[in-house]
Amino acid sequence: MSQVKKANVDLSSIIKNQQNLKFADEQIMLHTQDLKVFYGEKEALHGVTMDIPRNRVTAFIGPSGCGKSTLLRCFNRMNDLVDSCSITGQIILDNQNIYEKNVEVAELRRRVGMVFQKPNPFPKSIYENVAYGLRIQGVKKKRLIDEVVEWALKSAALWDEVKDRLHESALGLSGGQQQRLVIARTIAVKPEVLLLDEPASALDPISTLKIEELIHELKKDFTIIIVTHNMQQAARVSDYTAFMYMGDLIEFGVTDTLFTNPEKKQTEDYITGRFG
Amino acid sequence: MKTSVSSWVKSGSPWIWLNAGAVAICVIMVVSLIGLIGARGLAHFWPADVMQATYTERGNSRTVIGEIVQIEQVSAIQLRDAGIEVATDIDSLERKLVKTGNRDIGGIDFSWVLDRDLSDVSTPQMLFTAERYEWGNLYGYLRSVKQADKIALEYKGYEPSDAYTKLWKLLNQSLTRASNLKAHILDIEKHDIGSINYELERLRLKQRRMEIDGDTDSQTLAAMARRKIELSEQYQVLEEQLISLYAEINRDSIDVEVSTGDIISVPVANLVRIFRANSMGVWQKSLHYLEKIWEFVSQDPREANTEGGIFPAIFGTVMMVILMSIMVTPFGVVAAVYLSEYAKQGFTTRFIRIAVNNLAGVPSIVYGVFGLGFFVYVLGGSIDQLFYPEALPSPTFGTGGLLWASITLALLTVPVVIVATEEGLSRVPKSLKEGSLALGATKAETLFKIILPMTSPAMMTGVILAIARAAGEVAPLMLVGVVKLAPTLPLNMNYPYLHLDQKIMHLGFHIFDVGFQSPNVEAARPLVYATAFLLILVIALLNLSAVAIRNRLREKYKALEV
Repeated sequence: MSQVKKANVDLSSIIKNQQNLKFADEQIMLHTQDLKVFYGEKEALHGVTMDIPRNRVTAFIGPSGCGKSTLLRCFNRMNDLVDSCSITGQIILDNQNIYEKNVEVAELRRRVGMVFQKPNPFPKSIYENVAYGLRIQGVKKKRLIDEVVEWALKSAALWDEVKDRLHESALGLSGGQQQRLVIARTIAVKPEVLLLDEPASALDPISTLKIEELIHELKKDFTIIIVTHNMQQAARVSDYTAFMYMGDLIEFGVTDTLFTNPEKKQTEDYITGRFG
Repeated sequence: MKTSVSSWVKSGSPWIWLNAGAVAICVIMVVSLIGLIGARGLAHFWPADVMQATYTERGNSRTVIGEIVQIEQVSAIQLRDAGIEVATDIDSLERKLVKTGNRDIGGIDFSWVLDRDLSDVSTPQMLFTAERYEWGNLYGYLRSVKQADKIALEYKGYEPSDAYTKLWKLLNQSLTRASNLKAHILDIEKHDIGSINYELERLRLKQRRMEIDGDTDSQTLAAMARRKIELSEQYQVLEEQLISLYAEINRDSIDVEVSTGDIISVPVANLVRIFRANSMGVWQKSLHYLEKIWEFVSQDPREANTEGGIFPAIFGTVMMVILMSIMVTPFGVVAAVYLSEYAKQGFTTRFIRIAVNNLAGVPSIVYGVFGLGFFVYVLGGSIDQLFYPEALPSPTFGTGGLLWASITLALLTVPVVIVATEEGLSRVPKSLKEGSLALGATKAETLFKIILPMTSPAMMTGVILAIARAAGEVAPLMLVGVVKLAPTLPLNMNYPYLHLDQKIMHLGFHIFDVGFQSPNVEAARPLVYATAFLLILVIALLNLSAVAIRNRLREKYKALEV
């Protein structure tokens, strides 16, 4: 009897916060182990264990307040900025728990770049925005910076629109252009992982489309994790999708499967629009 | 009727009228303030006509010569109390304040006259005014120009003529010669002899220092002695030069017939400028006016600050405010950054913030007392003990001076800068900080590359407010280093060029001094207005330049809207 019960407990934990996907070790970019996040006394994530595959787009979906942004911000320790936030569990990047004491946060954030919901270009020129990360790293050679700026802007599909006004203020760009500039700025430091926190939610449909195309292009070079409210967007851009609800990882699977044939009732209810 | 009133109230019109009225009153007050001060101050420099009249007082008649500076009505009762006969049907009489000058003869240079008792009022073309370095203005008729006590030219009449024109020309030539000589003498006294004295004093202090330290390096001592001899030889040469120059400059003098009919003799070297206001056209008067205004802003004061210019005060004010800004800005900004970026927000930070805000409300004289007690006596005294023992017992930094005045003002204004900077820091969007951190910048890098540049307009706002407060402050300065008359500017050609220990003059204190401490109230009053007007101009200028810098910064770091 007790054995059955124990099996049940194990089973439920597998069902709840673990993926049923299995990746080969070399395919795994990031691994979270029983990750819990507390805001003061309140537990916002209830122990998430999952693998993020290399050079793929992984989408986090779920209703507001489900913890998807919180989880995303754990990957580059952005939650450190919140005074009341505390974290248990592990996130493994290159065999290293990023929450260990000897980890240099600035270097981690260079490796795990992040693009925010609202475009946040610095009040500097377009060129200086993209060069910012390099200058932080102490790169002085103008030629090198020129090259990287051009490469980053081309990769962000912005080069043709701004090449004649690189030294004008970035604040003169449209919202969509600004968001692509921010992406260019982020990839200019050659991160390994790109975290996108609802990158298109403040943009018009055409700009959204451009960003989505861009994500498609970028996955060749980067591991991308995207948080989105928009299920169609998740279906369009991602290879894998994780559905989260109330601080739990409910289901994580190949995007096509998850949207067409979800395993869990909650997932099905959400993607068919019955709640959330 | 009732409904129309209530609908008028409902429409909001009364509220708009109230708002507009408040603005109108503010504008009127500001304009009239500047208007009054400007008009009173600037009118002083206009060459008024010089009146000549016969004044009969209790049966005695005398001639009055001078400029009318003020006209007022005085009540008959007051006059009767003073023992002046006034007919019973008269309520009030007009009286005039006449600047009669010639203080060396009459002892006073202003007197009130009753308009009733004036007769034969005229403005003779020949009357001339001589501004003098001593004894104030002289009004009278030019009679002769003497060279080496021999009459070179003279003229007796009261009407213009060729002979008089010649005399006038000769006087002008003599005056030009004298003022050139005077400039030369001043140059030698101030610069050459000044720097010799300065070096001698430094040598003396150095020697004293060596005595204190027990240093008996004979070579250095010998070199110093040689240098001393060299300097005194130079001094001898200059002194002889001065003696001959003084003989030259005192060669000429003029004879002037004054209102009493006496002839008095005045050395040309004592004249600043001569003019005949009554025969000047508007154009000439305008030129004279501009010349006087230029003198006011560019020259040293004369005659216990009631004549001449106020350049040292302007210079002192500007210098002190600039030094204050240089000190207060980094200090306030660094404190604000710690308070709002690094310190853990909680009771302590809130308490500090409240304390800082309250500091801004502490009366400035309290800062003056603190500056005197701490900066001057404790800090300055210790500095003297440690670094300037050779000059003791006369203090170097242990007395008020430019440095202490600036630091006291910096302390006075630091709350303003902290509050403004904190405000600016809180306005930098969080998303930009996160954006920078997400690119791998450390907190310090984010601060220096993103946050502080974006806060710079707010810092400038703080500096503007600080300047506005500091430049007009007088009370604390009286305790920590501002004086009535400073012999030299704090910035000059003697090493180390900027003399932080020197006492300075200040426009605000100058107003106080001229207005309240002057022996010659009537002469000082227009200068109070003129100095006040200039103080407003200086503050406005300092502020406008800070505003211009801020606007440029704002344009540069225009942040995201929302």
